Amino acid sequence: MRCVIPFLLGGSLLMPLLAHTQVPGTQVAERATESIRGVELKGRVPVNPQLLHVSLPTPQEAVLSNGLQVFLLEDHKLPAFSLQFSIHGGGLADPPGRYGVAMMTAAMLQEGTQQHDSREIAKKFATLGASFGAAATPSSMETIINVTGLSENAAAILALAADVVRNPTFPADELEKFRARYLSRLQHLRSLPGFQAREAFMGAVYGEHPGRYVTPPESVLRAVTREELAGYHDAYYRPNNVILVVHGDLTLEELIMRLEKAFGAWQKAESPPVSLPDLSPPGKPGVVLIDRPGSVQTSLWVGSLGIRRDGKDYFPLLVMNHILGGGPASRLFLNLREDKGYTYGVSSLFTGTNFPGVVAAITDVRSEVTAAAIQELMSEIQRIVAEPVSVQELSSAKRALIGGFALSLDAPRALITNVLTQKSYGFPENYWDTFPQQVEAITADDIQRVAGKYYDAERLQLIAVGDGAALRGILAKYGEVQAISGQ
Amino acid sequence: MRAVRRGVSGLPGKGLLAAGLLGGLLFLQTGSMAAAVARPAKMDPAASGTAKKVHIYFSETTLKNGLRVQLAEDHGAPVIALNIAYDVGSRNERKGLTGFAHLFEHLMFKGSKNVGDGEHFYQIFSNGGSMNGTTGADITLYFATLPANQLELALFLEADRMRSLDLTQEKLDNQRHAVQEERRLRVDNQPYGRADEYFGELFYDNFAYKHSTIGSMEDLNAASLEDAADFFQTYYAPNNGVLSLVGDFDSTQALKLIRKYFESIPRQPAPPAVELKEPLQTAERRDTVTDPLARLTQIQIAYKLPAGNTADLPALQVLSSILQGGQSSRLYQSLNKDRELVVDIGGFVDERIGPGGLYIGATLRPDSKPADVESAIYTQIDLLMKAPVAAWELQKAKNTTRLVFLQSIRSVQARATLLGSYTVKFGDPDLINTRLDQFDTVTDDDVQRVARRYLQARNRTVVVTSPIPAGGSAAAALEQPGA
Repeated sequence: MRCVIPFLLGGSLLMPLLAHTQVPGTQVAERATESIRGVELKGRVPVNPQLLHVSLPTPQEAVLSNGLQVFLLEDHKLPAFSLQFSIHGGGLADPPGRYGVAMMTAAMLQEGTQQHDSREIAKKFATLGASFGAAATPSSMETIINVTGLSENAAAILALAADVVRNPTFPADELEKFRARYLSRLQHLRSLPGFQAREAFMGAVYGEHPGRYVTPPESVLRAVTREELAGYHDAYYRPNNVILVVHGDLTLEELIMRLEKAFGAWQKAESPPVSLPDLSPPGKPGVVLIDRPGSVQTSLWVGSLGIRRDGKDYFPLLVMNHILGGGPASRLFLNLREDKGYTYGVSSLFTGTNFPGVVAAITDVRSEVTAAAIQELMSEIQRIVAEPVSVQELSSAKRALIGGFALSLDAPRALITNVLTQKSYGFPENYWDTFPQQVEAITADDIQRVAGKYYDAERLQLIAVGDGAALRGILAKYGEVQAISGQ
Repeated sequence: MRAVRRGVSGLPGKGLLAAGLLGGLLFLQTGSMAAAVARPAKMDPAASGTAKKVHIYFSETTLKNGLRVQLAEDHGAPVIALNIAYDVGSRNERKGLTGFAHLFEHLMFKGSKNVGDGEHFYQIFSNGGSMNGTTGADITLYFATLPANQLELALFLEADRMRSLDLTQEKLDNQRHAVQEERRLRVDNQPYGRADEYFGELFYDNFAYKHSTIGSMEDLNAASLEDAADFFQTYYAPNNGVLSLVGDFDSTQALKLIRKYFESIPRQPAPPAVELKEPLQTAERRDTVTDPLARLTQIQIAYKLPAGNTADLPALQVLSSILQGGQSSRLYQSLNKDRELVVDIGGFVDERIGPGGLYIGATLRPDSKPADVESAIYTQIDLLMKAPVAAWELQKAKNTTRLVFLQSIRSVQARATLLGSYTVKFGDPDLINTRLDQFDTVTDDDVQRVARRYLQARNRTVVVTSPIPAGGSAAAALEQPGA
């Protein structure tokens, strides 16, 4: 389905949109002048050597009598506001074998409450000039609920959001409708090469751990009952289990008054602790082939198990990932796209929450250059493992990460996420203020160490989605090929 | 130049974002000064807040070489956003060279007299910035956001390539590959990709809009270095561009820098005008496509609309919101929720310099029949012609439009892009301040009138795309990969 945002232009972008990490500013050492592979630097561009010193706004804080923690980033520039509820537990709180209950609970919130049916809820949010969305993938550590709206209708929007969050009834007929919708939509999703590759990659890295689930297993989607949804809601949707971050055109006084009215009577209760199964990195290299008849490209994922968000290797991995594949100035982009012309986009990523995420390099290449493209991906991974990065690459990566922090000050979503990150992981209050020093302290040795550890050849999983007949021979040289049906 | 209102300029690092210290009040919110907002007689009493107006102050000046410059100070965050909009898109392409405007956009990042190949990316991203370019049927945009102390870097990079782009055969061949991969990624390797492209070919008669922006493989292969040099000379002239700068800068100093870098770039003869008019459509157009990559049937429908920014467009936008905007819309409620015929349904108004369209797309459930889905859609469209829409629906259309618009002008980059786009597309940057007012006056009569005028079968194009079942029924249950 095409999705077009009114007022913005459709069109082809020069390059795919990549996630861009934002961090606050500090000084960076003098820059060396050696050239970077794949870039011709003429040295005539007027660059300001100073990095901007910026500090992130400190949110105002309050706690309601029932334990709901509230953080407000007040901003009256536009007559609108956003709320983000983070409910601890997420998909990972589901019992083993039922990964999907939290996801369906979140999706069903808007489908009926004691006061309103599904249609009325949709009608009321839209009429007030508000949007509501809730999500909890099976591998998430929290359910995230986003509400945005016009500030002149804040009172009514908050009252309706409270009804939906606190009093969903999970009507039986709506549950059956949701099930049918979602199962049909999955058929479409599974026809997308990127989705197929992601699912197979997560399966290869996580084995039986719930981190593998991009969507709930179909057996769960078919079997989950109303009672399970109501049970999950009753256990985890509790004010003392929620962090609420608000941004926009509201004062603290007004916000607290409205929240007390809408959420004040929400009963607190202790939520059951979430226990996760043990997780270890893949014991051997793996190669997965997904035959997708009719493909004219090969979709590639290569990587392995990474770190928790609060792991000690976060900062070296942040800088390493930036150099390897964190945007158009990265090694992978300059090599596979700008130098070789194999692809439109290539990038690397790393994830992590309260359990280890993944590290991965991802690209789509035309079928006939698949062998050469895999070789380049592997050789770039090997190079960052085997050789220290250059002085200039290291300093550029730090400048990018630290300088980019200024941009987050213009992006409420980023500010909200930063507040939530600091609170969710119990990081120190000055976490974002010290972020630049942490980035600044990373050395070439640190980068080589984490590259060697997480992109260890003995753990790498390679996934290829494309024309099976041609792929089989190409993949064989990387290990025993496990073939999965793309249907 | 019009006067620019200045507020207190915050000093980076001094906690300028503490609440209440937002400097540079370029957004003026007024209670008393806001124009009264027209409201329908009957409305949801809950939605009785008074709409707060937003105004974005900007100044405009034209350099000696014809480059239009727009400046909007906003000291709320220590960032600047620069957008250069060129008055060119795939509508300007000639037969045999489809995809060229976009291919050329890629060449703009491959170096110029004082900027090396790859250096543009490198300098922006290594200094905390972000950037991209985009090409559409009507317009080509280049935009970058940077920390406020890198303004000169942004201006230098844009001016150097406008003045002295360095084109070589090697660079052309290299980006030809990147663009062909982009085509494969978006079109040839995606379910419905080719059907979407074909839809445009069926919908339009005039070559300007009839072909896709990404272009055909054959034409991309045919593009020569001479074509690139001609295109640059013709369309990438200062008199064919708009420079929009938004953010944390001083207008006087910024304009001085802009003059320094841009004003001596020579003006070129005005590019040839393109005729965008479409002949009157007199009968429904329809076709079917089979797609081996698809798993579900998809129906795409579009009705021809007049040129953008003309009198009927706001009412058509309101109509589209009521018909297919979100979960409260008529199509979602009737086809997805009540009758369970579709997995997804929705669409939009495509507003262009020339004739646009009202698009509706539906992805079918595995057991639905295309004819049933189509007739259910037409039933809803007939209702729009027969009876006035409800007061709450008008209210919804206006309020959701406002919310989306406010979100779309939040960032400095979005504002810079919007100023440049409105200037190139409709010759009026002030649309950024007046666009929402056009919606406020739309009535239920207007919605009914435009429904009757434009949503007739003879004004319609329909493409049904069906999957080719691979080794059995497409409705068969799927297995969990790896399970």
